Amino acid sequence: MPALNRLYREYRDRVAFYVVYIQEAHPVDAWQVDDNLEDDVLVASTQTTDERYKAAGICVTKLNIELPAVIDGSDNRIERAYTGWPDRLYVIDRAGRVAYKSAAGPFGFKPAQVEQTLKHMLPSGAALTGPGDE
Amino acid sequence: MRWVVRAVIALVVCYVVLFTAVLAAMLQPPERFGQFMRYMPAPVVWAGLPASRMWLWARSGTVAEGDLAPDFTLPTLDHSRKITLSSFRGERPVVLVFGSYT
Repeated sequence: MPALNRLYREYRDRVAFYVVYIQEAHPVDAWQVDDNLEDDVLVASTQTTDERYKAAGICVTKLNIELPAVIDGSDNRIERAYTGWPDRLYVIDRAGRVAYKSAAGPFGFKPAQVEQTLKHMLPSGAALTGPGDE
Repeated sequence: MRWVVRAVIALVVCYVVLFTAVLAAMLQPPERFGQFMRYMPAPVVWAGLPASRMWLWARSGTVAEGDLAPDFTLPTLDHSRKITLSSFRGERPVVLVFGSYT
């Protein structure tokens, strides 16, 4: 998260950042993992929207996430569309096209690649002024 | 020597069966995959099979770079409003971070 927080602070005036909070990667009632047990990260699978909001709230607080978050519905429709589980990074350009799609997480979750994409996409130091100037 | 040949064949068959079962599980929705991994001894998957490569392939998904990003409207965590991805078109790029606490 520190890397993403840093990117957010640096680019937030020019780029929209959203955490898309999806179904749990390692809920206690499914594939629990030792790391989570040790760190006391214990969340049941979020079946309802309310449960998911609660889990997202805990996540944002405990991990000090500065990015704003949106919550995927309990139908997991957006996760399905983007194959986002357990975690994944996308950069969408100003035309609404996918400029960068990370390899599937956890292996492909590399904030440095998001930074590279943003650097190439944005003129250095200049704020975006409006459509048509690219 | 025939028993050695039989043993090798048996091992290969076991490996192929395991590979197929794990790959099939990886292609399931996350909640099913999670249930599968709950009962599968992790070392079998991670040490015995090319698991990360299988995972990257199984989870490649349908969206490709260059495609129009699938649109969505989702509520924010603070309940203040709904965000529609396409509203940023012509305005600014968007970074999406998919994830959860666990």
